[in-house]
Amino acid sequence: MHAIAIHGGAGTVPRATLSAEHEGRFRTGLAAALDAGFAVLQHRGSSLDAVAAAVRVLEDDPLFNAGHGAALTRDGAAELDAAIMDGREMRAGAVASVRHVKNPIDLARRVMEKSRHVLLVGSGAEEFALEENFALMPNRYFRTAERVEQLEFEQRGQRVSELVPPGSQGTVGGIGTVGAVALDVEGNLAAATSTGGMTNKRPGRVGDSPIIGAGTYAKNGVCAVSATGHGEYFIRAVAAHHVCAAVEYRGLTLAQAVHELLHDKLHRLGGDGGLIAVDASGQLVLEFTTEGMFRGARHSDGRREIAIY
Amino acid sequence: MSRPRRPTAPLFLTVVPFVLAAIAGVARAADPGADARPIVLVIHGGAGVIERSRMTSAKEASYRAGLSAALDAGFGVLERGGSSLDAVAAAVRTMEDDPQFNAGLGAVLNHEGDAELDAAIMDGNGPRAGAVAAVLHVKNPIELARLVMEKSPHVLLVAGGAEEFALAQGMPLVPRSYFRTEAREHELEDALRAEKARRGSATGASGGHGGGGTVGAVALDVKGNLAAATSTGGLTNKRQGRVGDSPIIGAGTYASNESCAVSGTGQGEYFIRQVVAYDICALVHYRSLPIAQAMREVIHEKLRRTGGEGGAIGVDPAGNVAMDFNSVGMFRGVRDSRGRREIAMYDDAHY
Repeated sequence: MHAIAIHGGAGTVPRATLSAEHEGRFRTGLAAALDAGFAVLQHRGSSLDAVAAAVRVLEDDPLFNAGHGAALTRDGAAELDAAIMDGREMRAGAVASVRHVKNPIDLARRVMEKSRHVLLVGSGAEEFALEENFALMPNRYFRTAERVEQLEFEQRGQRVSELVPPGSQGTVGGIGTVGAVALDVEGNLAAATSTGGMTNKRPGRVGDSPIIGAGTYAKNGVCAVSATGHGEYFIRAVAAHHVCAAVEYRGLTLAQAVHELLHDKLHRLGGDGGLIAVDASGQLVLEFTTEGMFRGARHSDGRREIAIY
Repeated sequence: MSRPRRPTAPLFLTVVPFVLAAIAGVARAADPGADARPIVLVIHGGAGVIERSRMTSAKEASYRAGLSAALDAGFGVLERGGSSLDAVAAAVRTMEDDPQFNAGLGAVLNHEGDAELDAAIMDGNGPRAGAVAAVLHVKNPIELARLVMEKSPHVLLVAGGAEEFALAQGMPLVPRSYFRTEAREHELEDALRAEKARRGSATGASGGHGGGGTVGAVALDVKGNLAAATSTGGLTNKRQGRVGDSPIIGAGTYASNESCAVSGTGQGEYFIRQVVAYDICALVHYRSLPIAQAMREVIHEKLRRTGGEGGAIGVDPAGNVAMDFNSVGMFRGVRDSRGRREIAMYDDAHY
């Protein structure tokens, strides 16, 4: 048995501003990532390789807020965060505030596999990337016309959605991030998350994505979680670990644990968002408290779905 | 005749309050209702190789004085009816300003020879949190972490962006040389020499000698609010940009009035993977374990199983205290309204 779930961010997805043509493009992007990850699992690859493959596809797709096409900081630069966790030995790697790494998820994985550390930030992370023979990219590689327009909207005080390009009328804010969780045939769980963070964010601001336990967490026998949403709330709630602790210590089902976190704990704190999770039995949960969440799931039993609302 | 018997009065004055405190402590222990609202402060000054055989009496006295000053600075806040948040900040600030601890002034140096500082603070009432990582010019990182919590919509700011925020908040920056002490320069030189001998090259630091040395505090105030704070320079000869568990909410620092407040110290990477601080509180909250037992399970079983070394301090809403470590020693202190006041560093006085 194997299974994978992906997300491309939770937030406001106003149906009115998302044309059929546009929606089709998002669905195509999600399908490509989902199938890239699933193919790894089908070939008896590891859940770690599967989540990395899915996230890399989403990073390279300019529609999603990670890698190429990430949201821009208040000074107009893309500043990227990513984390990956291997539930087998509970190894983890993460990078934050990098500005020149094409696929931050690959660097996060390198931190996990080739350094003694878990989290590297800023220029120190890029120094490590160079030592590991990553080619750095100019920051403009990440910048797309849509994200520049979105930043201008935001700076004029018109809040926009990070998920979709601004329409003719200003839309309400949301948060986008990409992530994947998977269970492989060996029973290993893994999670990966990558993001550009919030549009118009303060340089140096780090959200939940690269924080192990907050936006990303995996533990064999329990669950793997990747979150998206208002990162500060997910950090305070130690959201991803909270879900797994509820499963492990209280015997809740994965669905109950996720529901309680999003609708009770985070809601009480005032935070919105969503998350995807998979447990050791292959149960997949994709849930959100926002208007929508770009998401997809595929299971070895044949189920395959892609959804937005 | 020429020797005045001056000690008598001070000795008497010192002993009597202790006796009274002890009596009060016993009386309160017998009648928990009389002490319905305990106040507690617990601090640590890092876990690591702290052995009696390697300590001179002067050094030990100096560490004790430093821990004592931090303990009393924090407890003084609580005694005056102040918040646990103010108390943990005061205790940590005192240790940041003390060059013998690995935080603020006298923090260990990274591969480039700079002190690169991380800190976090969490208010169990909310809960709210603020943290900074990889800052090079902030005298008291714990104060910047608190400003992040109180004056920004964010939780974690890193590096240059965090310092930009400090300036925007009117916090003056200090030159890197402020943090550097001769002792830390020697430690770095030793580490670089050892690294060179090991690899035949001084480049490509993969970072990391002598874990621990972090400072932290947890407190319970008269209103029943919990708070935790942690501050560190990380590892000697660490790779620039390496962030440990201290500024990671849930890993090295966590507080929630629902469960407990914890500050950790040790090999940060293991603490991050195990989400140590939150895991202790989750065991308290969801398995109803006493805090000491929850901490023992996480520090001695889960952490040790993965090879992680270090310790933690914690307090729960009832004022129960835990201080535990799987390393050779941990600088630590506790003071509460029941009259308990202890400072310890070796592993021969476990609680």
